[in-house]
Amino acid sequence: MILKKELDMSRNEGLENLGSEERRHFLKMGLVVTGLFAGGTLLSLSSGARRVFASSGEFAEKYPYKPHYSMLIHVDRCIDCERCKKACAKTNHVPDYGYRTTILERDVSGALAGKREFVPVLCNHCNLPQCTRVCPTRATYKDPVNGIVQMNKSKCIGCLTCQMGCPYNARYFNEEQMAVDKCSFCWESRLSKGEALTACAEACPAGVRIFGDLSDPNDKVYRGIHQIEKTVWVLRPEAGTKPNIFYTRG
Amino acid sequence: MAKHASGGGVTLNGLESMVVGRLKTSGNGYYFALLVTGLIMMAGSIAGLQATIGGHHVFYGVTREVSWGILIAAYVFFVVTSTGLCLVSSIGHVFGVESFMPIAKRSVFLSIVTILAGFFVISAEIKVPIRMMLYNIISPNLTSNIWWMGTLYGVYLVFMIFEFIFLLLNRHKPALVCGFSGAVAGIAAHSNLGAVFGLLNGREFWHGPYMPIYFITSAMMTGTAVILFFHLVAAKVNNERLDDKMLRALDNTRKVGILLICVISFFTIWKIVAAIAGQPGGKYEAVMAMLAGPYAVNFWVFEVGLALLLPLVLFLKAGVKRPGMLLVASALMIVGIFIMRYDLVIVGEIVPVFHELGVREFSGLLSYRPSLHELVVTAGGFGMVGFLFLLGEKIFGGHKVSEEH
Amino acid sequence: MKNVTIICLLLAGVALVAGSATAGDHGGDIHFTRPVEAVLFSHDIHVDQLGFDCDSCHDGLFEYEAGAAEQNGDFTMESLYGGGYCGACHDGETAFASDTRCATCHEGVKGYNRALGKTETAASHH
Repeated sequence: MILKKELDMSRNEGLENLGSEERRHFLKMGLVVTGLFAGGTLLSLSSGARRVFASSGEFAEKYPYKPHYSMLIHVDRCIDCERCKKACAKTNHVPDYGYRTTILERDVSGALAGKREFVPVLCNHCNLPQCTRVCPTRATYKDPVNGIVQMNKSKCIGCLTCQMGCPYNARYFNEEQMAVDKCSFCWESRLSKGEALTACAEACPAGVRIFGDLSDPNDKVYRGIHQIEKTVWVLRPEAGTKPNIFYTRG
Repeated sequence: MAKHASGGGVTLNGLESMVVGRLKTSGNGYYFALLVTGLIMMAGSIAGLQATIGGHHVFYGVTREVSWGILIAAYVFFVVTSTGLCLVSSIGHVFGVESFMPIAKRSVFLSIVTILAGFFVISAEIKVPIRMMLYNIISPNLTSNIWWMGTLYGVYLVFMIFEFIFLLLNRHKPALVCGFSGAVAGIAAHSNLGAVFGLLNGREFWHGPYMPIYFITSAMMTGTAVILFFHLVAAKVNNERLDDKMLRALDNTRKVGILLICVISFFTIWKIVAAIAGQPGGKYEAVMAMLAGPYAVNFWVFEVGLALLLPLVLFLKAGVKRPGMLLVASALMIVGIFIMRYDLVIVGEIVPVFHELGVREFSGLLSYRPSLHELVVTAGGFGMVGFLFLLGEKIFGGHKVSEEH
Repeated sequence: MKNVTIICLLLAGVALVAGSATAGDHGGDIHFTRPVEAVLFSHDIHVDQLGFDCDSCHDGLFEYEAGAAEQNGDFTMESLYGGGYCGACHDGETAFASDTRCATCHEGVKGYNRALGKTETAASHH
């Protein structure tokens, strides 16, 4: 609804430039194209509509893990209260010089309505992670069951190639543990103990972070992504890592 | 001398007295240089040890975003140099081009020295080097370029050491086999180092097949500079005049150098054009940082000026007759190439991964400045090369190539 | 412990208000830090630019004292949706609704830190 209102207020650059093949591609994925906007509302979070859809479209076909943990972030709801960040740090013993998740801030000076947006970022637990490919000792790996990108900290040599390989700046070196640390969707601290949500998702007062199982059609995340009303995108789709953190508005 | 060493009945005492005897022949200048390079090497070791124990975050200037600093650049520089020495010298003693023969021994020795300097620097850069030794072996990741690079460089080092031993013993057949195997391992290792950078999809400045190809070519260019530099310095250290054969070998090295400077210039031009045409995201910002941004002095003065243009002009003018000019040219080139490696590593990191997101936190280029400790470790690598080079000159009697083969 | 924190936050709020109130004869910038960090209310925009009187809000909706509203247990988004506090105008009719354009009023921890003069960025040094 809100999105609709904002769309009406922004300048629509027209859909006539969009090829019919692309349209069909979008429709096939169950996504509707409402317009192309430059004012900073629709497309500016990612680098291009086509690439975004090409990426999330592939996800609509197949979810290789069970459960396929994923997060849908309602970016316009974020108010940067940073309770997620604090909950994460407390739950996972993240030192003050590092972070597993953070909030970025973008100013949209040309926008007519809201001129500010907070963008939560974390490990995207990619289906094709580059961090795990480049790690020389398999200290970081993708869990074959739930798809979480994990660390085996005793094997980490601290070459930081994974930090270079990550398109999401999701990793940092933890000096106390002498290993790279990263978001694990709170596997050790919560999920493995039967909790349903990550610490950040639970702490969020604004319903920004929706955490769930993308392979379950009854799950909130699944339903949030498989719909035609609202646009869903990922960050840095061109890096080709098939991320599992999705973004939407409204 | 080599004959003496090749005899079956060499005793340890005999070897020791020979080495001591050779070292004693040196003048005060030599001992002073040995002392200075030795001290620099020690300072580097202490700085590296202090940082490893006390924490890199305290002593190094690297950050979460720019996590590879001058030490990675120095490592790349040293292994580029080693690979280059191996490849250029193999023209003679592996591929049989007679005129390159005189530079074989010293070049092979130096390729061992420079790869050791590379390992020295990287051991101060890797945060937990102890784990590296263990898990590289028991938990290898075959899709990791850095694993292949490290492993192949290990194999390379073994081949180069054996090649050097066989060259010392004047056993040319096994030396050739080792030299060839070393060159293959070196090329494989070094192109994998290029792939460490080139295969990172999220890093536009590096991404693509360009890096592995560029690394090999640029290694050979570096090899020519380092061969010229050290052979000319060695003549001063040993107080000798270069004989005709050596002069011819160096002249041929100079010619190969000219060719490779042209090739690298060509590569550089197209790298830039490809990053400007159509302004591809990430690449464009990085290249502009070099052309007209914070890395412009590095690029224009050091990369273009010292590493390519000036040496090209001097190489063309110098000919055989003016070794002094060759020495200056090769020295400038080595300095320029070091900055080239520095820019290659750092500029690839300064464009934030979220540069297209338009967020405040990552609105501009990231910055990095090497810390004192990083600089001292880097200097330690150079000190190590100098120290072992000087030592090698005396211990191996000026790396003379025996006449009988 | 909790009370101490609240008092500290209030004092910080007062200090901020005192610092910025000199600009005009209104309350300057009010940074609400409860229940979440942080919301910026700009007197500048509401009084100088939009031309509201003091009475428009300080007649039942808010006390004159900065930070007083935060001490009430009902200073929440739910109250706003029901027409309380900011929700009196931000109802979608008079002004944009309280459940839209969150980041227009919510300046977040980042905005608040900037107001406090802290220069902290996400680009950490590790």
